[in-house]
Amino acid sequence: MQILTQLVFSGIALGMIYAVIAFGYQLTFATSDTLNFGQGEALMLGALVGLTLVGMGVNYWLMIPIVCVFGAIQGAVVERIGVRPAIKIKSEFGWIMSTIALGIIFRNVAENVWGRDMRPFPSPLPEAPLHFLGANVRPMEILVAVGALLMMAAVELFNRKTIWGKAVVATFNDRDAARLMGINTSLVITFSYALSSISAALAGVLIAPLTLAGPNMAAQLGLKAFAVAIIGGLTSGMGIIVGGIILGIAEKLTGFYVSTGYSDVPGLVLLLIVLAVRPAGLFGRSAIKKV
Amino acid sequence: MMKSRPLLFAAVGLALLVLFPVATDNAYYIHLVETISIYAILLFGLDIVVGYTGQVSLGHAGLFGIGAYAAGVVITNFPNTPFVLIPIIAIAVTALFGAILALPALRVTGPYLAMVTLAFGTIIQILVNEMDFLTNGPMGITLTKPVILGHQLTEREYFWVVAFLLVAALLVVHRILRSHLGRAFEALRGSPVASDCMGVSVYRYKVFAFVVSAGLAGLAGSLYSYSEQYISPNTYNFELTVLFLLAIIMGGRKTRSGALLGAAIIVMLPKLLDDIVLFRYVAVTFAALVLVGAVAFVATGRSTPQRVAVPVAGTVALAGVSFKLDNIGDWRLAIFGLITLLVVYYLQDGIVGFARQTLGWRGHGASDAEAAARLPAAGSAVSTSVAAAATPAMQDLVAADRVLMQFGGLKALNDVTLHVTRGTIHGLIGPNGSGKSTMMNVLTGIYVPTEGAIAFKGQSIVGRTSARIALTGIARTFQNVQLFGEMTALQNVLVGLHHTYRSNLLDVALHLPRFVREERAATARAYALLKFVGLESLAGEEARNLPYGKQRLLEIARALALNPELLLLDEPAAGLTAPDIRELVVIIRKIREHGITLILIEHHMDVVMSVCDVVTVLDFGQKIAEGTPAAVQANPQVIKAYLGGELEALALQAAARTGSESDPRSPGSPA
Repeated sequence: MQILTQLVFSGIALGMIYAVIAFGYQLTFATSDTLNFGQGEALMLGALVGLTLVGMGVNYWLMIPIVCVFGAIQGAVVERIGVRPAIKIKSEFGWIMSTIALGIIFRNVAENVWGRDMRPFPSPLPEAPLHFLGANVRPMEILVAVGALLMMAAVELFNRKTIWGKAVVATFNDRDAARLMGINTSLVITFSYALSSISAALAGVLIAPLTLAGPNMAAQLGLKAFAVAIIGGLTSGMGIIVGGIILGIAEKLTGFYVSTGYSDVPGLVLLLIVLAVRPAGLFGRSAIKKV
Repeated sequence: MMKSRPLLFAAVGLALLVLFPVATDNAYYIHLVETISIYAILLFGLDIVVGYTGQVSLGHAGLFGIGAYAAGVVITNFPNTPFVLIPIIAIAVTALFGAILALPALRVTGPYLAMVTLAFGTIIQILVNEMDFLTNGPMGITLTKPVILGHQLTEREYFWVVAFLLVAALLVVHRILRSHLGRAFEALRGSPVASDCMGVSVYRYKVFAFVVSAGLAGLAGSLYSYSEQYISPNTYNFELTVLFLLAIIMGGRKTRSGALLGAAIIVMLPKLLDDIVLFRYVAVTFAALVLVGAVAFVATGRSTPQRVAVPVAGTVALAGVSFKLDNIGDWRLAIFGLITLLVVYYLQDGIVGFARQTLGWRGHGASDAEAAARLPAAGSAVSTSVAAAATPAMQDLVAADRVLMQFGGLKALNDVTLHVTRGTIHGLIGPNGSGKSTMMNVLTGIYVPTEGAIAFKGQSIVGRTSARIALTGIARTFQNVQLFGEMTALQNVLVGLHHTYRSNLLDVALHLPRFVREERAATARAYALLKFVGLESLAGEEARNLPYGKQRLLEIARALALNPELLLLDEPAAGLTAPDIRELVVIIRKIREHGITLILIEHHMDVVMSVCDVVTVLDFGQKIAEGTPAAVQANPQVIKAYLGGELEALALQAAARTGSESDPRSPGSPA
């Protein structure tokens, strides 16, 4: 029982990270119907830049805004190079391939800059576990969950309350109409990519103390976060949190009770099942096709 | 004369392929060409999915792996299995996996499909790693070259086996893609809705495309396992999948030569990146080529300096960087990513497509159309509706009763009853947004009505798929033209004739008499249909290049190919010029003379009033009037709906006279 509770807690922490990356997918999908297949690499770069900064003696909390700035730039670069030309020529194949290619480039560059090894990331909080419901919970796990929720809440608030957010929502609803209303939609799309990469980079520095930091830390993360986005629905904020937690716990349980080798499987199988049965996701609404 | 050039190329290529291992003793080179051939087999299959049906598959490395492991596992556990059975088993197993993958994957498109196939590939890799009782896990499986009749094949002899299978695969794939099956693949990319409404089930042919593609990947996988003599799980990873896609786009979609070229590039590329000196030479040559090409293009006015700036800068930078680096191997993936980026945006049609465009080669579509013109003419282009003669004339062909179509809170059709008498032209008019097109979509199964009954020839069609409804005899055109843009006019009509084929895969692959006969009959018929609408001179033109009015006529020809008993025309005159409209009216009358019943949605009142026998008027989803054109025209409710109520009947007649000018739609804009 104690082990089970333990697994559930670490599953939740992991699930919140998936939710954050899935949230990044939602942001860009909302504005441009595209998403960054290199989202996992954005997370990895965030973690490694954070690690370098901490290594240079920068305080963990001070490092976070710098990583955010880096994430914003990285996201904007991905949008400019990989996505914008594809939107212009209306090529789906184009942006899928170019964001994949950019992801590969980022990973390869990271391997050459930071080396291939996984490195420990110093934890900003005490390592000593807290006792909760008979299970050991690491303070960092709580920070991950809280940080993820706060970040999503902040973006939601931004979208609902500010004029900038209204532009984002308008672009989501109808890109052409929004452009005709004087909204600079291509700027909004760049902005959504920047925001999406910020969330990924932030997720990177949040999770790195729990795992390790290295160029291959995010190998399957992007794909599994997509599974979360699909399970929850690409339009539902609540959905990705629930989906993330389901997937995080399922993985931890599989890893413990079956084999760590299989821990990636439940999420992917769940993805296939949801898409076969209910492509709009558990919480999403299906669109009516128009002829 | 026309056929001699490709034939000559094929003969020379074949001779080179067969004689290659005789010319060289170097096992390394033989192995290299062997690998290229194996990859090419896989790429033929991948091109079916990516090039023809237009789906992004990131799962083909996984399928390739399944083929390799199917071979490896069978050989390990049953060492006495004859060699000829191994590729067959691998094809069957992989095709089965392809079908399993296709079922969930093909309900979705675009990024969803890409992610699903990626998930599939990842699961396969995990399973191969973990199921070590079957696959020997990360240790992999070691094999020897196959044994035929007690003789262990040498590298050279195995090369010939691969070469033979490459040629066989090339021939089979080429024939499939040039047949009605290939046209079905291309059609569902061009317009899924139109495919369904032509009786070509999108879902079925997507699954079919995936299964054929997977089968080829399985064949390639089994050959690869013998070729490498070692199978390990990490070979079949994400990078390999991306490499395959790169090969397809770099070589050129929808061409077999492109797949061969792409295979050669992706096999040579890693070798190239192993050797920094060689890489420097190639990078500099490549940069020089791009530079010269760019200058030539700008000089001849085919491109602008801005457009060529990025590829030139990119390739020159690549050449510059190659001199900075000592160890190119570490940067292998980054370079490969850069190439992908450049290709995706600057070489969209691939090397073969680019060469074709630059040298002005024509595709086979144009020459096929010329060949079609020389075929003996088909008896009658438009099939006379047989049932019409057999059954009493005054019978309802369509009986839609109390149809309700609700989208959320909106009732697009509210309690509409529509009965269409066989052999008539039934007009359906009403202001924009009154539910006319919704009615069409309900009749053709695109929407399933919320409530109500629809019978066609006395049988209910509610809940049937669009493809099935189309095959029972309802054909349609679309308000916003839904042609298969990349296909020629002739091919578009041939898609409509898909239902006339009974040939299976074997007939197509071997060009058995049944297929040859059916193909010839269909081509002659398609050409006759084009003639019927006056488009025979444009048979070889790609549909997207036709003027708007001609596109509408082509849609009618394609719809007639279904041998419909009922033809739905959704605003056929929209965007047509006055002479075109007169021609259209003649065609509509001719169609009716063949016993085909028509439902006509049209805003041009002069057209409606001159050809229709009965007119039904919809407004806000409700039927407000029905009767002869004259009666409807005089109906005060109709006048109110059109003009807002206070004007006299005269006003409507005035509108009828100036109908073509007062249409708010500008020509060419989809409403």
